Amino acid sequence: MSAVLPNNAPPAMQESPGLWTLAWRRLLNDRVGMVCLAIVATYLAMMLASYAGIVARDWNKEKGVSYANPSFMAGAENLEAREVTNKDFGSKAKPVDLSDIDPLAPRYKEWEERAAKIAVTEVKRAETLPFGGDKWGRDVLEKAIKGSEVSIFVGLTAALFATLIGTVLGAMAGYWGGRVNDFLEWFYNIFTSIPYILLILAFAAVFKRGLDTIIVILALTGWTGIYRLVRAEYIKHCGREYVKAAQAIGASHLSRMFVHILPNASHVILVQLSQHVVSFIKAEVILSFLGLGVPVDMVSWGTMLAEAQNELVIGKWWQLFAAGASMAILVTAFSMLTDSLRDALDPKLK
Amino acid sequence: MGQHRFLLYNPRFARARSPGLKHALTLAAACLACALAAAGPAMGSVEPKVVRMAFRTAEAGFDPQRIFDRYSVGVCENLFEPLLTYDYLARPVRLVPLTAEAVPQPEEGGTRYTFRIRPGILFADDPAFKGQKRELVAKDIEYSIKRFRDPRNASPYEWLFEHKVLGLDEFAAAAKKAGRPDYDAKVAGLEVRDRYTISIKLTEPDFNFLYVLAMPNVVPVAREVIEAYGEDTMAHPVGTGPFVLKEWVRRSKIVLERNPNHRGYELDPRWADPADEFDRAAVDALRGKRLPLVDRVEIYPIEEEQPRFLAFVNREHDLLDETPSDFIEQVLPNGRLAPSLARQGVAVFREEAPEITYDVFNVEDAVVGGYGPEKVALRRALVLAHDRGQEIFIVRKGQAMAAQSPLPPGIVGYDPAFRTTQQDHDPARAKALLDLYGYVDRNGDGWRDQPDGRPLAIEYKYNAGSQSNRQLAELWVKSAAAIGVRMEAAAVQFIDLLNDKRVGKFQMAGSAWTADYPDAQNFLQLLYGPNTGQSNEARFRLDAFDRLYRQSVAVPDGPARNALYHEMNRLILAYAPWRLGVHRVFNHLQYPWVKGYKKHPILYTNFKYLDVDVAARKAAAR
Amino acid sequence: MTAYVIRRMWQMIPTLAGVILLIFFLFNWVGGDPAQVLAGKISNPEQIANIRKQLGVDQPYWYQLWVFVQQVFTFDFGRSWSTNEEVSRILLTRVGPTLTIMVPVLLIETVLAVVFAIMVAYVRGSLTDRTIMVICTTAMSISFLVYIIFGQWLFGFILGWFPVQGWSESYWRNLTTYAPLPIMLAIFVGLAPQLRLYRSFFLEEINQDYVRTARAKGLPEKKVMMKHVLRNALIPILTNVGIYLPSVFVGSFLLEVFFSIPGLGREIVTAVNRSDFPVIKAVTVYLAMLTMIVNLLVDVMYKLVDPRVSFK
Repeated sequence: MSAVLPNNAPPAMQESPGLWTLAWRRLLNDRVGMVCLAIVATYLAMMLASYAGIVARDWNKEKGVSYANPSFMAGAENLEAREVTNKDFGSKAKPVDLSDIDPLAPRYKEWEERAAKIAVTEVKRAETLPFGGDKWGRDVLEKAIKGSEVSIFVGLTAALFATLIGTVLGAMAGYWGGRVNDFLEWFYNIFTSIPYILLILAFAAVFKRGLDTIIVILALTGWTGIYRLVRAEYIKHCGREYVKAAQAIGASHLSRMFVHILPNASHVILVQLSQHVVSFIKAEVILSFLGLGVPVDMVSWGTMLAEAQNELVIGKWWQLFAAGASMAILVTAFSMLTDSLRDALDPKLK
Repeated sequence: MGQHRFLLYNPRFARARSPGLKHALTLAAACLACALAAAGPAMGSVEPKVVRMAFRTAEAGFDPQRIFDRYSVGVCENLFEPLLTYDYLARPVRLVPLTAEAVPQPEEGGTRYTFRIRPGILFADDPAFKGQKRELVAKDIEYSIKRFRDPRNASPYEWLFEHKVLGLDEFAAAAKKAGRPDYDAKVAGLEVRDRYTISIKLTEPDFNFLYVLAMPNVVPVAREVIEAYGEDTMAHPVGTGPFVLKEWVRRSKIVLERNPNHRGYELDPRWADPADEFDRAAVDALRGKRLPLVDRVEIYPIEEEQPRFLAFVNREHDLLDETPSDFIEQVLPNGRLAPSLARQGVAVFREEAPEITYDVFNVEDAVVGGYGPEKVALRRALVLAHDRGQEIFIVRKGQAMAAQSPLPPGIVGYDPAFRTTQQDHDPARAKALLDLYGYVDRNGDGWRDQPDGRPLAIEYKYNAGSQSNRQLAELWVKSAAAIGVRMEAAAVQFIDLLNDKRVGKFQMAGSAWTADYPDAQNFLQLLYGPNTGQSNEARFRLDAFDRLYRQSVAVPDGPARNALYHEMNRLILAYAPWRLGVHRVFNHLQYPWVKGYKKHPILYTNFKYLDVDVAARKAAAR
Repeated sequence: MTAYVIRRMWQMIPTLAGVILLIFFLFNWVGGDPAQVLAGKISNPEQIANIRKQLGVDQPYWYQLWVFVQQVFTFDFGRSWSTNEEVSRILLTRVGPTLTIMVPVLLIETVLAVVFAIMVAYVRGSLTDRTIMVICTTAMSISFLVYIIFGQWLFGFILGWFPVQGWSESYWRNLTTYAPLPIMLAIFVGLAPQLRLYRSFFLEEINQDYVRTARAKGLPEKKVMMKHVLRNALIPILTNVGIYLPSVFVGSFLLEVFFSIPGLGREIVTAVNRSDFPVIKAVTVYLAMLTMIVNLLVDVMYKLVDPRVSFK
C-alpha cells in the first residue's frame, strides 16, 4: 500500500492525470475536512511523540494515590486511596526460624549486611493528578496518550494488512477473471457468509493472546469489503484502452496489474483504508474487553475501557471518560476526513 | 461530600422505588409466569418465600460425580445429601451425621469406617421410580462411590477414591478395559452389610476420610435414575436433599423448589456462639422450626460485576455473594457499612475464606527451578520483590490477608502463631540476595543476568479472561522490574494455562486452591512429590517434605500431626516453590428480610437454613 | 426464475464446504486441548487421555473432519463440552431472548433511520443536514462498551427507569420490563451508521435522471421524494437489512453479557472463554448457512422488485 501515495506522478496516469492534485485542491477547500485532517495529524504526531518517548514517557509510574482525584476536584474525598502497608501482616508472633533447613542459611550474615546498605526510597504519592489517577495511581491523561499509540498502531497496521490482502486478491480476481476469480470468489463467500463479529469471536477462541494476534485477527477477517471493491475496479479497468496499450508495448501482467491499473483504483483503496482504520480502532476495544491482546506492560484505549468497567459505579469516571473521549474524537475526525476524502476523490458522489 | 458519594446519596438508594420496579418485584415474588395473570390472584393465598441471588460464574451441571466447580457443587448441596455434613453454626467446623445415624469411629487403625443409614429417607419423586417412593439404602452409597471410577464419567473428583478403597482400583482397571464398569461386581472395600449398613475398608490409614464423605458431591444417587437419563444426568439430579431442581436454563437461571418428600431438619443450636450476632439471629429465627423454610430459590449466574452488584443494590436480588472488591468502598467505606445500606438494615457477613492464592514456580525449570542455594536464592528474591501490599490494598481493596503458610485459617492444622518475614515485600533484601548469588547485570542492558552470564528473563503466565489476573500480572512485572529482573507476562487462555501448568510448560503462573475438606492435608498435597503432573503444579520434589507428608497422613489430628505440618511449612518457606499470596476475605450482603444467614467455610450455600420475611420485603419495596 | 434459484442453491455447496473447512481448521487444528478444562482440580494423564478419547480429539484429522461433516448435516453437534447440554438445544433455547432484543431493534432502527434519512436528504446540504451528519459521526465514534456501561448505570441505577439486568420466562414481561433498556442502547448505537448509509442511498436516487424528469414535470418536491425516491431507495435499504439480518443472532453479545440476557451472543462469549468448541462450531456453521439463504432471498426479492435486474 505504501506504493499508492507516491505513485501519483509516474507514467500511469493516462486516464485522469491530475486526479490527486485536483483531489488535494478540493480537500483544501473543504473546511471540515481540513479541521479533521488537523486533528488526525495531531493524534498521529502525539502517537509518534509518545513512541519516541517525548510525551507520556513515564505513564507507567505510579505518581498518585489509588484513584487520585483530578486536579479540578482536588477537595473530593477519595476512599480508595488507602494506605499500602507491607509489614506485619500476620500476628505479632515472632517470625519462624528457618536457619536449620534453609539452603541460604550459610550466608545469612552477608545477606543482612548487604541489604542494610541498599537504600529504598519511598515515593511520595500525590493526592491529585491533572486528570485523575487509575487504580494504581497512574496518570490517566498520560495513559490515554500512551494508549493512543497502541490503539492507532493496531488500527493502522491491521487496516494496512487488510487492505493489502484485499487489494492483492481483488486485483487478481478482477484482472485474471476465470478460474482465479472463481476461486477467490469462493474464498470471499466463505468469509462473508459468517457474520463478522462471530468470525472474530471464532478466531479469538483459538488464537494465542498478544498484540500481533489482534492485528492478525482483524486483518484476516476484515479484508473482504476491500477485495470486492478493488475487484470491481479492476474488472472495469481491464477493458480500458490504456491497459490494452500497455499490453501492446509488452508490459507484463504484474506490471499492468500494479503499475498501470493500481494507481487508477487507488482512490477507492485509500478511502477503504481509512474506513477500516476507524472500524479496527473500535474493534480493538471489544477484543480487549474479551481479554485478548494488549500485553500488561502496554496500554490501549481498549484496555483502559475494560479496566474502567466498574469505575463508574464507584464514582471514578475519569478513566472511562478519558479513554472514551480521546477515542471518540479521533474516530469522529477520521470518519469525517474519510468522507471528505471520498468527496474530494470522487466528486460525482456528493 | 466527595464525588464518589453519589451512589450512597442517590435518592433511589434510600427512597421509594419507582412504580414500574415495584410491580416487577411483586411479580417476581409471586413467581408467576404470566404478567397479566399476576395482577389479581395473590390475595388469598400464602405468598411463597423466595430467595434470589447471583452466582459469579456459570454452573456446569448437577450430576454430583461429574462436576467440580463450586457453583455446581453448591447447587448439589441442596439436591443431595451426603452421609455426613457440617454443623451449620459450629466453628471450627464440626462433622455431624446427615443421612447416617452417627459419625463413625475409625476402626482397624483408621482403615475402616462403618455407616448405618437412617431408615425411611426418601428420594425426590421422579418418573424413573415409576410412581413408587424410593428409599435411600446402603447400595446407593456403594453405587455412587463406584461412579467416581467409571471411565465414562471422567469424574473430576476421581482422585478422592484413587488408591484409597480396597479393591476399587481393580474395579476401575476392569472398567477401563471393558469401556464400562460392571456395577454388580463386588468391591472388597465397599461392603454392604445389610439394607442400611455399609462398611468401607481403605488400603491404608486415613484419618481425613470422613471429610471426604461429607463432601457435597460424594452423595448417593439412584442407579435407576442415572440409567434412565443416560447422558442427561447433568440436567436430572434426583436426590434426597431438601430441594429439587425445578427449572434450569443453563448458565442463566437455576430454580430450586422445596422437595415435598423431604423429612425436614431442625437447627442444632448447641454449637452456636452466643457472642456472635449471626449465630444469635439464626438461632432466634430458626429454633424449633422445621427446615427448610424457603419455598423457592432463584439463582442467576452473572459474570459481569457491575450488573451483579447493581442487581443487589436495586433489590432485584436478596443476597449478594462475594461483593466484588472493586465496589467495596461503596459497601464498607472505611471498613464500616455504608449509612444508606445500614438504614435499610443490610447485614454484611465477613468471611475469611479457607483458600489461598499463590504463584507457582516451576521447580523443574532451568532458570527458576532447582534446589541449590543460587537457584533457591532467585526464587526467594522474587518472592521478596513482589509487592504484596499493593496486591492486598490495590488489587483486592484490602479484602485479603497475607498468607503466612499455605494453610488458610479455619482449617484443621492452621497455626495462627506461624509467621514469616520471608514472604514480605522487601526490595532491599531481594536485591542483596541477587547480588550475593551473582544475579547482576553483566551485559550492561540494565537488567540482571544469570550467574553464568546468560540473560535472565522470566515469563509469568496468567489467564487472559480475567481483569484481576491481568492486574496481578501487571504487579509482578512491576515488582520484578523494581529489583532489575526482567519479567514478561504472557496472557494465555484458561485451558492452555491449565494444560501448561499440568505438564510443566511454564516458569511462573498464578494459581489458587479452595479447601475440599477442612484439613491441612488438602493443601499440603499440592507440593507432595508424587503428585507431580497432577495437583503438584510446582513439580516440587523434596525428599524431606515427602517423608513428612507420608507420616502426617497416617497420624490422627493432634499435636504430633501439627508438628509435622509445622516442619512442612518451614520447608516450603525455605525452598519457595510458591510465592504465597493471600487468603481472600469475602463480604456477603443480605437484606434484613433474609433470616438465619450464616456462611459456612466449606459448604457454599445455606438455603436450607434461610427464612424470608415476606411482609418485611413487601414493606421495604413500598 | 426457478432455474436461477436452483443454480444459486447449487453454488452454495462449495461455499458451505469452505465454511466447514475453515471452521474445522480453526477448532480442530489451531485450537487448544479441551481435555484440561474438563479434568477438574486433580487429574492424571490417564484421565486426560480418557477425556480426549470421549471427545474424539485423539482421532486422526480426516476422521474428525468426517465426524464434523456428519454433524453439520444431521444437525447433531453432540453435547456442549462444559455443560453436557445438547448443542441443538442450546441453540434453540437461546435464540428466543436474542430475537426478543434484536427484532425490535432491527425494526425500530430501520424505520427511524429511513424516516430521518429521508428528512435529512430532503434538506440535503443545509446546516441541519450537516449538523445531523456530524452528530451521527460522533455518535458512531463512541464505543458500544461505553454506551452500555454508562447506559446501565444511568438509566438502570441512577434514574431507575429500568431494572439493571434480568430476564423472565414471560415474553411479554421481558419485552416490557427487561428488554427496553438494551433495545434503546442498541438503537442508540445502530441508528447513526444506518442513517448515514440510507441518506447516501436517497442522495443517489435523487441524482437519477428519472427524478429530474419528475421534477421537471412540475411535481412538488415532497411528492417526488415520497413517490419516486423513497420507493426506489427502498431496494438498497432492504438489501442492506437483509445482509444485516444474520448478524442479528450474535450482534447483541455485549448487551446480553451486561444485562444477563440468556441469548445466543452471551452463550458464544461463554463458549469462547471456556473453549466450548462444539457450541461455537455449530453456531458458526448454521449462521453461515442462514446467511447464504438470506442472501439468496434478498437477491430473489431484488430481482422481483426491480425490473432492471434480469435473471442471468
